[in-house]
Amino acid sequence: MMDTTILSWVTFIYFAAFVFYLFRIILGREFWGKLATGTALAGLAAQSVALIIRWKTSYDLGIGHAPLSNFYESLIFFAWAIVLLYLLMEWRLKNRSIGAFVLPVAFLLMAYASIAPGINNRIEPLIPALQSNWLTSHVLTCFMGYASFTVAFALGIMFFLKKDTNAESTNPGVFARLLPSEFLVDELIYSSVALGFIFLSLGIITGSVWAHYAWGSYWSWDPKETWSLITWLVYAVMLHTRLVRGWRGKRMAILAVVGFGCVLFTYLGVNLLPSLHSYMT
Amino acid sequence: MTTKKSALWSFFSSVQLAVVLLSLIAFFAVIGTLVPQREAAVELAGRLSPGMFSFLDKMQIFDLYHSIWFFLLMILLAVNLIVCSLDRFPMAWRRFRLRPVTSDENVYKNLPEENNFQTTLESFRVKAVVADLLKKRFRRFESDDERGSSFFYAEKGRFSLFGVYIVHLSILVLIAGALIGFFSGLEGYVNIIEGRTVNALNLRNGNETLNLPFDVRCDKFSIEFYENGAPKSYQSDLTFLRNNQVISSGKLRVNHPLELEGFRFYQASYGASPEIKATLTVLKNGKKTMDKTIGLGEIFNLPGGEAVQVIRVEENLMRMGPAVKLVVRGAQEEAAFWVFQQIDKIREMNPGMVEQVPMFNPGSFRPYLFVLTGVEEKYYTGLQITRDPGTPVVFAAAVLLICGLMLVLFSYFRQIWIRIDEEKDRSKITIAGRSYKNREGLEREVRYLLAELKNNLEHSK
Ligand code: HEM
Repeated sequence: MMDTTILSWVTFIYFAAFVFYLFRIILGREFWGKLATGTALAGLAAQSVALIIRWKTSYDLGIGHAPLSNFYESLIFFAWAIVLLYLLMEWRLKNRSIGAFVLPVAFLLMAYASIAPGINNRIEPLIPALQSNWLTSHVLTCFMGYASFTVAFALGIMFFLKKDTNAESTNPGVFARLLPSEFLVDELIYSSVALGFIFLSLGIITGSVWAHYAWGSYWSWDPKETWSLITWLVYAVMLHTRLVRGWRGKRMAILAVVGFGCVLFTYLGVNLLPSLHSYMT
Repeated sequence: MTTKKSALWSFFSSVQLAVVLLSLIAFFAVIGTLVPQREAAVELAGRLSPGMFSFLDKMQIFDLYHSIWFFLLMILLAVNLIVCSLDRFPMAWRRFRLRPVTSDENVYKNLPEENNFQTTLESFRVKAVVADLLKKRFRRFESDDERGSSFFYAEKGRFSLFGVYIVHLSILVLIAGALIGFFSGLEGYVNIIEGRTVNALNLRNGNETLNLPFDVRCDKFSIEFYENGAPKSYQSDLTFLRNNQVISSGKLRVNHPLELEGFRFYQASYGASPEIKATLTVLKNGKKTMDKTIGLGEIFNLPGGEAVQVIRVEENLMRMGPAVKLVVRGAQEEAAFWVFQQIDKIREMNPGMVEQVPMFNPGSFRPYLFVLTGVEEKYYTGLQITRDPGTPVVFAAAVLLICGLMLVLFSYFRQIWIRIDEEKDRSKITIAGRSYKNREGLEREVRYLLAELKNNLEHSK
């Protein structure tokens, strides 16, 4: 299987990109930054190619569907969306320091997809309930949302690290200087959460439309549905406290981390609970 | 606006309450995923003391999402949203209606120093550059010349003032749709064996049944499998009848429901019905005399008047494939024996067995020989049937929500004023802006305009 071979290489490429981003922050040389961006871009390109090959292969097998249908494919797409969003952000902001916090998440997801036991990386035919265009749009929007929240989470972690290094010495090292200002981090957390909120709303809506066609009711309080609602509510609270109560900085960073915990539980944790969505594993 | 508001009004118009309510709903939802709900709760009954269980049951802990608590939270949220919006909307409306004055002097008061700069370019050139930039950035602008100065005004995103209200309205519509479904919707299921007609469905809540205003017949159920054995697709051919007159018919597939008179039918599941049919060929003295398809327990007659009854039908007997057990009764004799479909294979693997054991010999009743050509399982189709008049309302809410969110999160209302004052051999340019919500965004906008203007003026020299 060519696609899975490429994907296992992509795992290492993302790891290399992470290391280069880290070098840049520690050594402060822009050379490492450029290398890191190039590596991440190469990884993203290779991953896109692998996804397209996988898509095409499924059609050659006569069971054509977008590569978004099982747990393995969702992990891969999640990582892809994170790197894509991050690189777009890097390009718009002209700031590379966030990469050292985002790339490790993408790397871990890819690594988990290839080495965790019991993960099936074969291209499987779809059972009838999954044969729907709403499935593709549902998974696409949900994972774009998750990816935005992941970026917000990485920014939150960065916020805490920056605070710590600032507090330790009166003369902040390269490390703290290269990180964007607390003010900018806060703004970026808000933008990522806003983007994620729209995508998650779309994800929940496309999911209910699909459920409406497949199971006859748009909402059935299945644990995965319920947890996506919980996640959505946490981020709604975050938007309100920021806008109306004026919460900034540390509180936003904490909420970004809490929200990401909910995302992870929605994605992975609920598999411990019985659910309609359990075919995802 | 009235200066004195009742305590109740301020309680319900506060955003603190909104934050508390949203958190509470999230908390309830968490509990609901941890405590088994509805049918799943039965298992808990064995592990808790009966008193405890019935107490929790009375408190509706086992059906949290349909409980009075959840209902109350929803109502509180709705009241909160309504009061909050009534409280704030007039302000938004006034801001929306407020027409800016292009040559307003007040907006330039208390501006930071960096909001103005000077250029030696002639003022008509400066005006052209400003006009160009505003046109590019805002598409439309207004200008005015007064007292030796030129004034410009441009804006973006006036409608986003309403975004928040659209989002909040969508939540109200959503709650309304959910309530409609809660009070007048129904959800049931029914299994129909191929060829049968049903009229009643089992409701999900409780053990009641409901009679449909029409009959449903399943004419045929068909299923296809992938090579790995997983189902690829299945469908039921349904006919709907009233007073034995066909009123509608259609093929029901997974993900493609049928709708009739407000009831929606979904292909939910399928299974083997207890009814199995066997297809037999009968030979007499080596010559084919008849074919017969027959169900369990049924009887048919041979040309000589003997009665044949199928007393067992097995899909896979002793791992030797499909088989039926027949009893044949003639005038004098009677024989009971198995007829295997894969008789040739069995003969090959156990030479002589069939001839020695009458029980396994399909020719035990002379001069007939029975050949089993197939065992056909009958399926039942599992239908889910719902009626929810709230569904279109909920989907309308979803559309509103997305439109509102786009307005609130991706744009904001910003107003920009620019004035050019002529002073002897130079012009002074000043930029002022206003935004009710996003001060940082506005600052960025002004900084961008300043930089672009300086740049463009430099280039037009
Ligand atoms: C599930 C329910 C709710 C959702 C999804 C929601 C969503 C939103 C969103 C997206 C914003 C804009 C935030 C931003 O611009 O960053 C907002 C603002 C706001 N929300 Fe909500 N909201 C909900 C419930 C409520 C409730 C119950 C109240 C009741 C008081 C409320 C009061 C407000 C207020 C006052 C604002 C600020 C409006 C402004 O002046 O710009 N929200 N809400």
